[in-house]
This record gives sequence, C-alpha cells and structure tokens, in this order.
Amino acid sequence: MKSSALSPTRSGSTGLDWLSRREVHVGLLLFLTVAFVSLKNPNFYQAQNLRFLLVNTAPTAIVACGLTWVIVTGEIDISIGSMLGLLATVMGVTSSSVFLNWSPAATVAAILALGLGLGFLNGLLVTFGRVPSIIVTLGMMMALWGVNKLVLSNYGVSMDVSCMNPSLLWMEKGEVLGIPAPLCVALVVIAVTVFMTYRMPLGRRIYAVGSNVRAARLAGISDRMVKLFVFSFMGLLTGVACLVRVPQLAKIESGIGQGMELLAVTCVVVGGTAISGGKGTIVGTVLSVLLLSSIGSVLLFLRLGQNATYWEQAIQGAFILTAVLADHLAGRDSHEGEA
Amino acid sequence: MSEPMMIVTADEPETPRRAFPYWHETILLVLLVGLMVVARVLEPKFASLETQIELSRHIWELAILALPMTLIIITAGIDLSVGPIMALSAVVLGLALKVLGLTPAAATGVALATGLVAGLLNGVFVAWVRVHPLIVTLATMAAYSGIAIGLTHGEPISDFPDSLRWAGSGSLAGLPVAGLIFAFCTVVAAVALGKMPFGRYLYAIGHRETAARFSGIPVARIKLALYGLSGLAAAVAAILFIGRINTANADIGAGVSLDVITAVVLGGTSIFGGRGRIVGTLLGVLLIHETREFVSWRWEKSELILIVIGLLLIVSVLLNAWLTPKRRE
Repeated sequence: MKSSALSPTRSGSTGLDWLSRREVHVGLLLFLTVAFVSLKNPNFYQAQNLRFLLVNTAPTAIVACGLTWVIVTGEIDISIGSMLGLLATVMGVTSSSVFLNWSPAATVAAILALGLGLGFLNGLLVTFGRVPSIIVTLGMMMALWGVNKLVLSNYGVSMDVSCMNPSLLWMEKGEVLGIPAPLCVALVVIAVTVFMTYRMPLGRRIYAVGSNVRAARLAGISDRMVKLFVFSFMGLLTGVACLVRVPQLAKIESGIGQGMELLAVTCVVVGGTAISGGKGTIVGTVLSVLLLSSIGSVLLFLRLGQNATYWEQAIQGAFILTAVLADHLAGRDSHEGEA
Repeated sequence: MSEPMMIVTADEPETPRRAFPYWHETILLVLLVGLMVVARVLEPKFASLETQIELSRHIWELAILALPMTLIIITAGIDLSVGPIMALSAVVLGLALKVLGLTPAAATGVALATGLVAGLLNGVFVAWVRVHPLIVTLATMAAYSGIAIGLTHGEPISDFPDSLRWAGSGSLAGLPVAGLIFAFCTVVAAVALGKMPFGRYLYAIGHRETAARFSGIPVARIKLALYGLSGLAAAVAAILFIGRINTANADIGAGVSLDVITAVVLGGTSIFGGRGRIVGTLLGVLLIHETREFVSWRWEKSELILIVIGLLLIVSVLLNAWLTPKRRE
C-alpha cells in the first residue's frame, strides 16, 4: 500500500515508469514555458525578474505544502485564504506602533499560535465532530472572513504595513547566504515536509490513512490523530505564510488572502495529488505552484498588450483545464484501476 | 429497469433501527421559528408580512440555483462554477443587447444558450472525461469569470429595457414573476427527485456510482444533463438579477457558488452524495435568507452575516452528525 503510493517502481516496471509521473510532466511544462518566454523576450530570464517571481510565489508554496498533506489524507481545507487574511490583520494590530505595539517576538508567537489553534479547531471538528472537512472549512472560511472585516472596521478599514515593527519587515528585503528571506522560509518548509514524508513514520501514516482508512486502522494507526495533526500543521503553515506575505504588501486590507484557497487547491491538484487522497507529492505541488504563478508574468513578458491583461484569468483557467485534461488522457490506464 | 432501484431508497435505511429520518429538517425548522420569534420580539416591523414580501425579492436567484445544486450534490458531485456562469450569462446578455443590437427576446435566448453550453462543458468533463467535479468546476470557475472579465474589460453594463426586467422585478396576479418561476421549478424538481425513476437514479449514483452503472443506469448522460441544467439555472438567475438590479457586471457571481452550496448543505444534503431532499434545501435557503436579512436589518453589518452563516453551517451539520445514528464508512 505504502510503496504503491510513493515509490515510482512497481512490480513489473520497465524502468521508464518515472516518465509517466506527474512531477515530470509539470516540470517539463514549466521548463518549456520558461524557455519559450525567454526566447521571445530575454528580459524574462534576468535574475531580477526571476527573483521577484520566486519571492512572490513563496507564500503560496508554503501553504500548498501543508495543503498537499491535507488532500493526501482525503480531506480538504478551503479556509486558508480567510485565515491568512485574519492573521494578517492580527499581525497589523499587534505589531503596529499606532496600535498595540507588541514586540516582534510576541507578534510572531501570537500569529503562529493563532494559526495553529484555528487549524487544530478545524481538525477537531473534522475528526471528533464528524463534520465533513469541506463543510467545516467552508463555514470557517466565511466566519473568519467576517471576523476579519469586523476587526478591521474597528481599526479604520486598512492599516499601513510601514507602521509595523521594522524587524518584522526584515522578511521583505532580508537575505540569508544571498538567498532572499521569503525563499529561504519556503525552502525550509519544503525540505521539512519532504523529509517528514519520506523519512518519518508520521509522514508514512498520512499516506496510509489517505489510501485506505480501514487498513490503516487495522495497522494500529489512529486516523483521527493523523488528521488532527495535518489540519493543525496546515494552520501553522498559514501563520508562516502570513509572516512572509504581509511585509511584501503596502497595506493590510480585508482582501488579503482572498482566492488563495482556490489557487492553492488548484496547484496541489495540478501537481498530481489525487483529490480522493492517498496519492501525491510535495515536489509535484511545488513545481505546479511555480508553473501556475508564472503564467501571469509570462503574459506580461510576451508583450501582448493591454488587452491581454483582461484575459489573464481566462487564459489561466483554460490552461488548468487543458493540463487536467491532457494529464487525465495520458494517465488513463493507471487511473481506471484505482476507482 | 426498475428492478435494481428497489435496493436504494431516498432515506437509505442502512441501520435497521433508524428512528426518525427528518431530524435535520426539524432542526432547521426550529432554528427558523426561533429566529422569527426573536425577530418578532426585537424588530416587530421586520417580522411583518409587508416587510417579508418586500425582502423576498432578494431570495430568488439563490433559490433557483439551489435546486440543480441539490440534485448535483445528491450524485456526490459539486458545481463551483454557477456564480461565474451567472456572471458570464449576464454579461453576454448585456453585450448581445448593447453591442450586437439584438432584440431583448433574442438576447435572452443567447444568454440562456451561453449558460447551457457552459454547464454542458462542465458536464462533458465530469461525465465523459471523468475528472473529479471539484477540479473541473474549480478550473471552469476561473475560466468563465475570466471570459466575463475579458469580454467587458471589467466595466459594468446598465440600463436594460423594461421588457427584460419584467422577469426579475415584475409581478403577475399580485405575485412576483421570479417567485412563480421558482415555484414551478421546485415542483418539477421535487416530483422528479421523489416520485420518478430519475430521482432514484440520482440517489443510486450518489450512493455507489459503480453499482449504479452496473445496474444499467445511464450515469454519464444523467450527469451531463445535471451540469447542463445547473448552467441553465445560472443563466435564469442572471436574468432575474438583471431584472432586480438593472446592471450586469463580470463580478456579480463572486461568492454566489459558495452561498448556494452552503444553502444546500445546510438543508441536509450530504456532501458525500446519496442523501438529500428538496424540502431540506428550501428550508436551508429560507434560513440563510432570513438570517441574512435580519442581521442586516438590525445591525446593518455585512460582516456579521458571514460569521453567523458560517457558524450556522458548521453547527447544523455538527448537530445532525450527533443526532443521527453513527455509521461506519
């Protein structure tokens, strides 16, 4: 069960099985897209632009890693967008010199704890409350968005990020060993989740629960505990993403995080994670985050003119649809057996 | 054909001693009555008949979209793209009228066709290509609202002729036209779901799709029809919306899909399929409508509505999970 979920080689493999893996498809598509644009407009390939692209992608990549695990267990979390929005507001209120003026450490701790707590609450409702995760997180999405707007309206609708403690803003410009800080955080998150997936029992249990709950239970795995962990971790990562995202902005408004849950779910699914659970990798997710978030900048660099910006969303949607269709037709044989 | 249908019933008595199948509807009814009593005490004017009739103008789009959504969720599917289809149809209607210069009747036809085609495209992906409906409609959601933005460049279209606005704001024999359209659709949906083989097929598909396919149920064709129907309903909702507000915009569908799904799920339809009734959906729609109107009547804060509806959704399903006998798998 576990080996079929993760290892590329199955019994009777020809050694070329890796060619049919989603990560390879997405990676290839990413490479072709970048190569095509770079040929059309060499400016795209400049370090400045690539750096900008990667730094802006970091928050999405961070939440998408957590979401991959959630979806692998067969659940879903669509509350991450509004959770991020609420955490951003809390971050603004607690750390702004105009308002509570907490120390940076206290703010960071508060954001991470609140994210973890909200994620834990989601998990609790899903596991012990026996409410389907799409409903829990749909309700949570609306409730948190409402709370966010309510809190914001008490502090004047929007807050200037520049009023926040400067050490929190280090995340925007700071570098570690020449790598931009947001990228560093994203890389650490990716490394930790990948390591846990392949090298720790907990990671293996996530896949076990996702591919067959009954078998996992019989093997002595508590599916409730695994799901509780996965949702809490998702909340924690949303907190991390918030700490990375907010310094990149000029103002904290109620729109922050809106639509992020859909982008993240799309990235995870295009990256090869089965929505029914049990199958999917962090690497695939990260590659598809890069692919999908580069589309906007690709359209810009192809110099299609003003008109093209209006069609960006339509092109993105068509692109996802084509990717899903192509992948589904290509991998039809392997999908049939799993239904 | 009717032979295999004997196995699956609407209330699916899997546990033999299942006592009372209407727990969920009862909870909703109690909540609704409680809300109206509180409203009567706090805001006598809100609970008056005239106010209620006046406020009912806001309910019809949500109500009409909730019907096909109920059928789709009963088959264990979902349609996230109804909001964007609604926006796209509204925008197409406006452009057909203003740019192409079509007559109102022809423009309405074009808008309905747009909705139907958009819905059928979802259906093709779900039924024939067999991609998970959540993924298909997530992608088409972006695509349709993207097309609507692309067509209008984000500019609103207003000033529709009165003949077009009749469906949304006119009345017939003292009753709102939109309400009559909805009542007709509800009866059709309730009869089809509760009294006809078609309804049995839906529960069978939602309960176990493979078994349904082996029993000779045309699963693919039914799904295609359902998503097409959903798109058509979205176009109808767009026409009602234009009648009410007199404006078409690319972003009118934002949040609509989730509102509709919330109403259906609140109404007791299982998100995993195989369970759900039109009565429940009606109660869910009504409860959301009254909650929304009451909160905005008393506190004039739209943020509170979101919080209340979000909590309502979680609590009602939580209560339902506790009150119904525990089922493994």
